[in-house]
Formats: sequence, structure tokens, C-alpha cells
Amino acid sequence: MTRGELARISLVVLLFVVVQETVMLDIRIGGVHPDIMVLLPIVAGIIGGPSRGAGIGFSTGLVSDLFLPTPFGLSALVGCLIGFGVGMATIALDRTAWWLAPLAALGASALYEVTYGALGSVLGQPQMLHVALARIVVVVSVTNALLAIPAMRLVKWGMAEASTEGMPTSDAGVGAAR
Amino acid sequence: MAPPRRSRRPRTTLLLLVLAAVTIITLDARGGLHVVTSGVRSVAADAFSPVRSGVNAIVEPIGSFLAGAVHYGAVREQNQKYLAEIDQLKMQDRSAADQAESLRQLSALLHLTYLGNLQSVPAQVTNFGTSDFAATIDINVGRSDGVQLSMPVVGNGGLVGQVVEVSHHTATVRLITDGQSAVGTRYGPPPGSLAVLNGTGSGKPLSADLVPANTPLAVGQVFITSGLQGALFPAGIPVARVVASRTGDTASQESVILQPEADLPHLRYVSVVLWGPSG
Repeated sequence: MTRGELARISLVVLLFVVVQETVMLDIRIGGVHPDIMVLLPIVAGIIGGPSRGAGIGFSTGLVSDLFLPTPFGLSALVGCLIGFGVGMATIALDRTAWWLAPLAALGASALYEVTYGALGSVLGQPQMLHVALARIVVVVSVTNALLAIPAMRLVKWGMAEASTEGMPTSDAGVGAAR
Repeated sequence: MAPPRRSRRPRTTLLLLVLAAVTIITLDARGGLHVVTSGVRSVAADAFSPVRSGVNAIVEPIGSFLAGAVHYGAVREQNQKYLAEIDQLKMQDRSAADQAESLRQLSALLHLTYLGNLQSVPAQVTNFGTSDFAATIDINVGRSDGVQLSMPVVGNGGLVGQVVEVSHHTATVRLITDGQSAVGTRYGPPPGSLAVLNGTGSGKPLSADLVPANTPLAVGQVFITSGLQGALFPAGIPVARVVASRTGDTASQESVILQPEADLPHLRYVSVVLWGPSG
């Protein structure tokens, strides 16, 4: 990652944090607020592949953890798993398809929230499964699906070029060209 | 032709990141890293506080618009209700009513008889929970105002919660409805019987532990903090009142549902009690 890319992606992450901690915290749908920080590893996984997805998921997760009352490092753990998973799942797909980001955001956000609650419960916070999980999953997934396309554009600007890591070596050149 | 071979690098990267995350979580939970993470969180909260205030001032109208859009049904229903009551409401200045409510809560904070001689710091609620997985509020006082970790927070009728994160100018309070919250209480005629009230999640009632089966409990009976030695809260603060209780056929404990005394969903101002278990 070049210095320029690092600066750009840091700006994008900062923008997401500011929007999450201001606008999104004021929006309550059925008592649940949207979580756009979850979008970052998902779109990074689509654009940059599994390694970038995991790396961005880990680092943005740590940033999220600074503002959350839940165990420190939990968002980083789930973020890197989701970023990696989305990167792997979308390797064989046409990453330029317009529907890919909203669809991935819908499914992966749901998986993120369920994993977050389950891992939190395993890590000594059983109350994290005694929340309105279904409502959280629906609200976060749908809002992230709606915001996935602008998020893709921002993260694409932040990441200089798509990675080929994790792709079949014989396909690597194709992925890089996209 | 040989089948395409997948690179191992992404899996190695993932493994390293997972290990790093698990290490951070473990060290934080066991206390080794908690001082560091708590300090970093405090610095982040201090650094972000002015940004949040500044951006809020700019984007609050947009946020309100979006909130109105997503709550369209409820807003419409509310509007119809307001229209039906327009004759009664037209004489009232809504901003004055809003200020009156703030004044009522602030005045109530000045007359917290149950605090006795304990000192407290008034605070404004700035955020209702940054996570959907925990019941917390953010307040606009911090270490510079004398606030420390674990201090009790009261307001709007009773116990609100406990300070769990504190930075220079802000603090995070875990509400008594949070699933991690447990409050030692007593109930009944003095000296009273002991019970532990547990949170079951944001917006949900509290449940009681240690109440023996067939204990006669009246609806509306108030549970107050026990203040036993080493307790997390001083004695005598109203916590919650009984909504319902019943004993199962084979249960050894009474199943009790309680409503917090403090009106948690409508908190605007609270008081941080400058008290610790050792003090």
C-alpha cells in the first residue's frame, strides 16, 4: 500500500466514522441505528480481494472499537473475517456488476451482526445475544445494501488498485484488469 | 492442464489478523491491556468530541430529515394526533414546553433526597448508545469534573446506571437495563430482604434474582439499592418497581418483572454521584 493510498483510505475511514458517530447515531429504526462501518470490509473485500478485505476489516474494526462499549478487538475480529469472506466469495464473480455490492452488503451485513453477537456471547458477554438481533440484522443489512454503491465509489477511490491475492494464479491477470 | 492453484497468502494474512484480534480481546479482558485500550478510547473520545459537536451542528437538520423519512408512518400518525389536539395545543409554545421539561428534569436533579449528603455532578445526555448490542448513554462530563470509573449515575426518578468509560470531558454510562448490569437491592419493610436486579436489554424490564418463591410482592413495590459493604452503589437509591410477579409450580425463586424507576428512554439530564465502593 502506497502512502497516497494509505492517506486516501484513511480519509475514507474518517469520513465513515464521522457519519456513523453523528448522522447514523441519530437515526433509529425500531430502536436500532444503522452501522455503516460494517460496509467498509465488505466493499474492500469486493474491490481488493480477501487480503485487502481482511486488512481493512481489521483496521476499521479497531477504529470502531474505540467508540463502542463492547469488548475491544471484537469488531476487528469480525471485520477481518467478513472482509476475507466477501473477498473469497466474490473472486469468481464479475466485480463490476452493479448489483454485486448491494447484494454482498445485504448478506454480509447480516452475517456480520450475527457473528458479532455470537462471538461476543462466547467471549463472556452473553447479553449480546439477548438483544433484538433480528431487528438489528434487518436494519443494518437493508441500510447497508442501500448505501453500498456510494460506499463502493468511495472505497474504490481510497484503494489505488484491485488486488489479485487469493485468486487462482491462472486468473490473476484478469482480476487485476477489472 | 493442471488445475489453477490458489495463493496461500490471503489465508496466512487472515490467520495473523485473527490471532492479533484474539490476542487484543484476551489481553483487554484479562486486564493486561485494558489500561492501554481504556486510555486510547479516552483519547479518541476527547479528540472526537469537538468533531462530533461541530459536525452535529451542521448535519443535525439532515439527520432529522432522514429520521423523519424513515419514521414516516409514525410521524404521520403523530401529526394526526396533534391535529386532533390543535385547539388545546395552539396556546402552548412548544419550545417553552421543551424548556419546561428540561427545567423539570434539572430541578428534580437538585432535589434528589435519596442522595443525602453525597455530592453529585449534573450532566447532559449527548448520545443514546453507540452500539445496538449494549444499553449505554454518553454524557458531557468526564475526569475534569471529578467523574471516575464505576461511579453511580442517577436521574429522572432513580438509578440510571454506572460509569464504564471516562475521558477528560465525556463519559459512557452503562444503563441498568443493559444485560451486563446487576444491582444489589433490598425490598420490603426495613431492614428488608436482598435481591439482585439484572438488566435484560435496552428498553426491556429488569428481572430479579434471589427472591424466594411465594414472596408476597405488591405491584408498584419499589426496590432500592442495598448499599452492602463492597456494593457498587450507595444505599437507598430507588432502582425499579414491581410490574408483575409469579411463582412457577416447581420454582425455588419468584419470577419478578420490574420497571426502572428512572425514565430511561427520555433522559436529558442526569447526575453522576461522586461516590465509589471504597468511599
